[in-house]
Amino acid sequence: MIRYILKRLLAMIPVILALTFVVFTIMYLTPGDPTARILGNEYTAEASAILKTELGIDRPFIVQYFSYLGGLLQGDFGRSYITMAPVSDELFARFPNTFTIVIWAMVFCVGVGLPIGVLSATKPNSVFSNITMVISLLGVSLPIFWLGLLLILLFSVNLGWLPAGSMNHGFRSIILPAITLGANYMANVMRTTRSSMLEAIRQDYIRTARAKGVDKGSVIRKHALPNALMPTITVVGMNIGALLGGAVLTETVFSIPGTGRLLVDSIGSRDTPMVLGCLVIMAVCVAISNLIVDLIYAYIDPRIKAEYAGGEA
Amino acid sequence: MAETPEVKTYSTKKDFMKKFKKKSRFMELWYRFLKNKPAVIGLILFITIVLLAICAPLIADYNEVAIKIDMGNRFNPPFTDNLLGTDEFGRDIFARIVHGARISLTIGISAITVSFLLGGALGSIAGFFGGRFDGWIMRAMDVFLCLPDMLLAIAIVAAFGVSTLNITLAIGLAFTPRMSRVVRAAVMSVRGNEYVEAARCIGARNGRIITRHVLINCVGPIIVQITLYVANAILTISALSFIGLGIEIPTPEWGNMLAEGRAAMRQYPHLVIAPGLAIFFTILSLNLLGDGLRDTLDPRLKQ
Amino acid sequence: MSDSLNILDIKNLTIEYSSDDDVVKAVNNVNIVISKGKTLGLVGETGAGKTTTALSILNLVPEPQGKIISGEVFLAGEDVLSMKEKRLLEVRGDKVAMIFQDPMTSLNPIKTVGEQIAEGIRIHSKLNKKDAAVKAREMLELVGIPGDRILEYPHQFSGGMKQRVVIAIALACKPDLLIADEPTTALDVTIQAQVLKLINELKQSYDMSMLMITHDLGIVAEVCDEVSIMYAGRIIEHGSLEDIFDNKMHPYTKGLFDSLPNIEDRRSELKPIKGLMPDPTNLPSGCAFHPRCDYARPECSVEQPKGKKISDSHYIECHLYNETTENKLGGTNE
Repeated sequence: MIRYILKRLLAMIPVILALTFVVFTIMYLTPGDPTARILGNEYTAEASAILKTELGIDRPFIVQYFSYLGGLLQGDFGRSYITMAPVSDELFARFPNTFTIVIWAMVFCVGVGLPIGVLSATKPNSVFSNITMVISLLGVSLPIFWLGLLLILLFSVNLGWLPAGSMNHGFRSIILPAITLGANYMANVMRTTRSSMLEAIRQDYIRTARAKGVDKGSVIRKHALPNALMPTITVVGMNIGALLGGAVLTETVFSIPGTGRLLVDSIGSRDTPMVLGCLVIMAVCVAISNLIVDLIYAYIDPRIKAEYAGGEA
Repeated sequence: MAETPEVKTYSTKKDFMKKFKKKSRFMELWYRFLKNKPAVIGLILFITIVLLAICAPLIADYNEVAIKIDMGNRFNPPFTDNLLGTDEFGRDIFARIVHGARISLTIGISAITVSFLLGGALGSIAGFFGGRFDGWIMRAMDVFLCLPDMLLAIAIVAAFGVSTLNITLAIGLAFTPRMSRVVRAAVMSVRGNEYVEAARCIGARNGRIITRHVLINCVGPIIVQITLYVANAILTISALSFIGLGIEIPTPEWGNMLAEGRAAMRQYPHLVIAPGLAIFFTILSLNLLGDGLRDTLDPRLKQ
Repeated sequence: MSDSLNILDIKNLTIEYSSDDDVVKAVNNVNIVISKGKTLGLVGETGAGKTTTALSILNLVPEPQGKIISGEVFLAGEDVLSMKEKRLLEVRGDKVAMIFQDPMTSLNPIKTVGEQIAEGIRIHSKLNKKDAAVKAREMLELVGIPGDRILEYPHQFSGGMKQRVVIAIALACKPDLLIADEPTTALDVTIQAQVLKLINELKQSYDMSMLMITHDLGIVAEVCDEVSIMYAGRIIEHGSLEDIFDNKMHPYTKGLFDSLPNIEDRRSELKPIKGLMPDPTNLPSGCAFHPRCDYARPECSVEQPKGKKISDSHYIECHLYNETTENKLGGTNE
């Protein structure tokens, strides 16, 4: 298992290299002269040239890329064009906010979606099951930024139960953003769990277990659920990226100072190093979470574990 | 002792055909689709939205109603002179929504066309030839898949600037990796079939085999995904506009209508409810349609 | 009440499956008796209702599609169909166990074979985890698999080995009645004989009764004491091994035997039963077999034949034998 983890970590390196390269290239293509924006009224040809040398953006593309990469390895994301402060300071100050709402959104979507999906599959023709089907169908179609606004209208403006934004109210300020961000994926998890549970319950090994005298509850918990979890884990894993994407919207709706909001603001102010930093850190997060999902997979399914052990199929 | 089995005779050819001619495949699928209630609801909803978008100029003039500021008429509530009320600039919200539908649908569909052309080409090459092509293309796509499509679209818009064309391309490019995977999987599932071998035997070129024999036979799963991706693309446009990186005001677009309405939503909730519902129903209709198509084309998957 | 000497006594069992618009009588007024230590062969084509009958003994007919309409299933004198859930759990696996048809899908892919064998042991014997594991290991060795493989997963076993594991699971608690549902159908021919031999030996040494479901008359000849022939949900002929093999009376039974290749005379032609199994949603009127029957008479398409006892052991449902018990099929082909 440890060998497998190391193998996967090694395999991540080219992915992250390629990712930074892609993002760097896109940002490099940004038209316009950043020095003109930085210098503003003090813009002169000489001042611009000096600043370009200082920022290192007069060098060829490939040199710039490798020096950026070298910096990244030491945790140096460059300097902001706007504040001239290190990008990493701002980035690491903001990232915990994003991380918090993403994690709570995941807790919400798995904590609610999974059990409801399972319950709904065990009673496939009940009223409860039909209601969950409708909810999940509506849930995947909800634009989350709109849902956020509606939740604010209902819970903050009308009922006054929960704060409408910022992260200054402890856990209470996380509830609405987490629900907003997690809503689509909760519906998705619910749907996937339900259908994979229905599939699992139909399998022959469930009949084998029941023929042994295992009670219904244990059959569901010990036999059907672990097998049904695989597609759910895939859905959760694949959606971590989408959650980070959704964080941009959620942070906008709830005025949360996170990486997503920083990204949008930096695009507005054409602060390329900051944009680059935000994108790189989010992409790395996705790569890491993909790795975690693969590890959970291998942990649950012995067939996958065997594949990695390099052994017989 | 055994009875002679009754021999059925058919007097006319027509009679015979009526008995044995199968319903065409398309009709068969259509009947199966019609049995799927949610899918039919989705289709009706989507057609309604498309019709509203097409008829938008007949419903309200773009320059005179949809974007003309009329400060005397601000914040009219819904169901009065204006079906859905007016916004903070006195513009009719219903008019803006139907004009917004034109934009969302056009960009959504063109973006997915872009991604289908690009991703379809990459995916079918990867799936058809396999081997090294497949390895390289898919590894490259995996890298892009690490960037959530929302962020990839944001990055592309950020780099090339905000314009309708750039947004279309950005969303199209953002969906390319996923599209290539879908097409690849579909192509691989039919690649080994004998009619492909047969086409090769009569000397057809690879390009022709891919377009005429392979792609045509994996239309089903691709159409299903395209339907769902159009929904996603429309959602992404609104999201981009909502955060100010999409369609810019005053052009009416559902996302930027939400962003504009936000400021006054505490007093006038209709400013955000109506455009949100427009997005919601559009996405819902396409999701219902996509799920319905999947069940129709592959009944085994139906739960 | 039922005779307690009979380990299994199924009385007038009728089971229906319903789908969207069709109702299928999968099992139709079936009676089966197995006395202690005996093996009954339940023979019939795919779709005749054999597996459904077997599942009813465990009260595991798949719900909600499958529904037991009427009948009783006495297991050692107790009606399984009216048992409380708690008692049912005690009976399943302990009093009656089942070997399933397809070993590839009958094992949980993500649990070790040891866990799967031990699970039933722990439920019924109240052993702790460690002792159950020891017992599971013994069971594995009993079915001819090295005990060290107890920690392996099903995907690491071949088809024949998996079926051995399934057998180990079924026998783990020494059931009084073992149901074997086509235990060799999914296996390679070379493995079939081994598995069959294993089941037979274990049955002897555990002193179990057995219900052997099969469509292979060779297996019946090898392991069974009595045979019931099932067609379209009904038992159309029942008798001792001798009754069925040497004095078969129902045209369908005869057809089954005629469909077997004759090894002694290779030039002899196979005589398959004409036609196909009827559509279960739309069974022929009267005797369900009449459209395929060479001996069909006018009344066969009208009236369901009544059951008739030919001798103490021999039972038949066929219009041919209404007036007389004389064998109309003209001798045997043995």
